[in-house]
Amino acid sequence: MFNKVLIANRGEIAVRILRACRELGIQTVAVFSEADRQALHVRYADEAYLLGPAPSRESYLRGDKIIEIARKCGAKAIHPGYGFLAERADFAQACLDAGLAFIGPKPSSIAAMGDKAVARSTVAKAGVAVVPGTEGEGSLRDEELLTMAPKIGFPLLVKATAGGGGKGMREVRNLEEMPALLHSARREAEASFGDGNVYLEKLVEGARHIEFQILADTHGNVIHLGERECSLQRRHQKLLEESPSPFISDDEDMRQRMGNVAVRSAQAVGYVNAGTIEFLVDKDRNFYFLEMNTRLQVEHPVTEMVTGVDIVKEQIRIARGRQMRYTQENIHLNGWAIDCRINAEDPYNNFIPSTGRITHSLLPTGPGVRVDTGVYPGFEISPYYDSLISKLIVWGETRAEAILRMRRALEEYKIVGVRTNIPFHQNLMDSHRFMGGQFDTRFVEERFSMEAAEEGKSTHPEIAAIIATLVAHEQTQRAAHIIQRGERDTSNWKWMSRWERMQR
Amino acid sequence: MKYVTSIHEREYIIEIVDERHIILDGTPYDVDFDSVSGQPVYSLLLDGQSYESYVYPSDEGWQVLLHGTLYPTLVEDEREKRLRAAAGGNIAEQGEFRLRAPMPGLIVAVLVNEDQPVEKGDVLVILESMKMQNELKAPRAGMVTRMRVKGGDSVEQKQTLLSVV
Repeated sequence: MFNKVLIANRGEIAVRILRACRELGIQTVAVFSEADRQALHVRYADEAYLLGPAPSRESYLRGDKIIEIARKCGAKAIHPGYGFLAERADFAQACLDAGLAFIGPKPSSIAAMGDKAVARSTVAKAGVAVVPGTEGEGSLRDEELLTMAPKIGFPLLVKATAGGGGKGMREVRNLEEMPALLHSARREAEASFGDGNVYLEKLVEGARHIEFQILADTHGNVIHLGERECSLQRRHQKLLEESPSPFISDDEDMRQRMGNVAVRSAQAVGYVNAGTIEFLVDKDRNFYFLEMNTRLQVEHPVTEMVTGVDIVKEQIRIARGRQMRYTQENIHLNGWAIDCRINAEDPYNNFIPSTGRITHSLLPTGPGVRVDTGVYPGFEISPYYDSLISKLIVWGETRAEAILRMRRALEEYKIVGVRTNIPFHQNLMDSHRFMGGQFDTRFVEERFSMEAAEEGKSTHPEIAAIIATLVAHEQTQRAAHIIQRGERDTSNWKWMSRWERMQR
Repeated sequence: MKYVTSIHEREYIIEIVDERHIILDGTPYDVDFDSVSGQPVYSLLLDGQSYESYVYPSDEGWQVLLHGTLYPTLVEDEREKRLRAAAGGNIAEQGEFRLRAPMPGLIVAVLVNEDQPVEKGDVLVILESMKMQNELKAPRAGMVTRMRVKGGDSVEQKQTLLSVV
């Protein structure tokens, strides 16, 4: 039983884990890079230690240093969060070798599921349907992939075997463009994961991305916490998630069938702790195993909001060797939750990341609103880490109420200093396709644009014109005022006295 | 003071009478206008109707973000408007285009060489920032020149990377 946890992460997820530890009365240790001295997770933790320079390779990816710090400060467990070291079997193993509990799955499960190609063949053997592709072939050279591609059929996806978050992923429409895309996919995979291996997978068109949250303890209990709808993506990065999925909605039979497959997939690798099984669902409601994420997900709060389960606390409980507090019969989805990822990027300029100091921030509050954030006014958004600055999550009794509540919360949310994608989410909330649940994984990229979304909307250009004019006027007045004041910017009396003092 | 303010080619004639009164296209309004704690967030009370928006200066004028819609706005007084009309249209397609880094980051690769002809939309440079690789493309056809960076370089925001003439 451990009573002190080191959190090997940063940003909003480090803060999220700190909160769970606090509520459980567990001591917390933060680690940070030189760029993060001022970060919220450093301020909230009981102890904090410097890891190294800003680039993650020299800080948050330094597993050896992190274990060394844990040893020195007496932390007996490490929570990896998501990203960084979360899905590195060698790091999980190194923790165990150092006598530390790793709050996550066994290294063997991470390895089995972490290599996406191996994962597909493992669950396929357990009788789970997978999207056709080059699973179970190990690592392949370009020539081999090019020979196999026509057999799978175009369009297809090149994916990084060590992948996640859309990095090292390319869509291929025909054989001619494939060599160049293979090259850029390998380059990006190599840069992101230090592993340039890729595999191929048939592209399911009109697909939805629906995932199931799994919890498994060391006593052999495995349960699922229902699904999350994650189809709204851009460049394979999720932007908005909800639970339940409007596509499954009240089809309880489908939910249980998918849930059972998810549980079976987890059992196939002897899974322990929290994990997520991702499915692709086609237009005819057939579902295929896509991959398993062997970690806490960014979007876990929507599941927490509808099930009432604190997933991070449950993770800690499981890592302490205790039984879960829930059985499958206890799990019911109550109401509807939506999560908007608030990123520092400019939706009006091709979603280019925005860096800078946050000068002002006003968080939405009130009924049914939760914000998981890692930033505050005065904090600098650096180019070293990803652009997620917070997650805005709302709960409503129905999907309609949740959407209306999200609209309200987005309008309240003010962040100044960097551009954010809040206007994108506002337009999405107004989109009829979104409201009707009529969307797939290509919706954002192919059928949604900021301009089109704003066309049918009731707008106030005259108000915008007035505001701009008043700001411009104010600025002109101020500029004129400064010029008029001349050299003497204080009263003549003060000026005289200074002049006299200078003469002494 | 009288201004001509345009949004998407629609012009609004706005006269600022004093701090509390304006005339929009001939209709007078009571205004109460203030920035929220000195930030680029502004609160406007217009005949009692309350609005809140962000206002950002841009190269062309002002960007007003109001209720999730961005309005690119040009504010001119009458003299400025006459001057611009006399000068004629702008000359964007001419001269040197300087590719600047839209954000600080690391140059992953420069995909073109000095004196290489490029088409509009060709990828010139791959810039990694916030864990994403961003492709910076040519806005028009031309010849690559004045290459200032190479793969592996760290660059600051707005730093010029290369030129297209």
